[in-house]
Amino acid sequence: MARYEYMALLAACVVVTAPLEVGLRVGVYRQWRRLFAALSCTGSVFVGWDLVGARLGHWGYNPAFVTGLRLFDLPLEEYLFFAVVPLCAILTYEAVCKTLPDVSRWVSARLGRGRRAGR
Amino acid sequence: MKLGYTLFCLVALAITLGLERLLRTGLLRDRRFWITIAIVGFFQLLVDGWLTCRPIVTYAEEQFSGVRLGCPASALFSAGGMPLEDAVFGFAMVTQGLMWWVWWGRRVGVGRQA
Repeated sequence: MARYEYMALLAACVVVTAPLEVGLRVGVYRQWRRLFAALSCTGSVFVGWDLVGARLGHWGYNPAFVTGLRLFDLPLEEYLFFAVVPLCAILTYEAVCKTLPDVSRWVSARLGRGRRAGR
Repeated sequence: MKLGYTLFCLVALAITLGLERLLRTGLLRDRRFWITIAIVGFFQLLVDGWLTCRPIVTYAEEQFSGVRLGCPASALFSAGGMPLEDAVFGFAMVTQGLMWWVWWGRRVGVGRQA
């Protein structure tokens, strides 16, 4: 089972951020064309660098924790990493955009009350 | 060559800043972006920590600064943890992802005002 560990870690990232789409309804997955475009622009550059670094031996992957499916010099998991991490960041950003006005109101209401109580 | 990963991260950071000059998303002046970076940074410590402590991902010691963030004492972990450079790498990748997201959003008319 250890060889699924990297894959499981990526799956956990997707699962942990899923409530932002499903519960908070940020609509990131719903805009799948925009999402695909953004992830492709970012991923292509970083996968390119990653391939070079792996080829040069700057970093490597522990064969015990990857499935063994490879494309060129990289495990399949590494390609998914470059999609999953920016995806989680985009979900987080949209969640912050959506909730910040409410959070700010709540904080300033609290601070306001605190200030009044202190006077 | 030594410090290859260090160089790689600095180049990635420079490209990220250059990309902002091209795309003009305004993200770097947006409070919501920096809040996102703080949240993502916290989760990076967990996920990247796991990747580098087990270790799932290994680094050639001479290719980075040698500064690692360390790992909790546990029989699960047999490496030194996140290289300092990973923080720069993560910031560059996440920031580029968000820049492209905002830029593509504006192109299709759903971009947010900074």
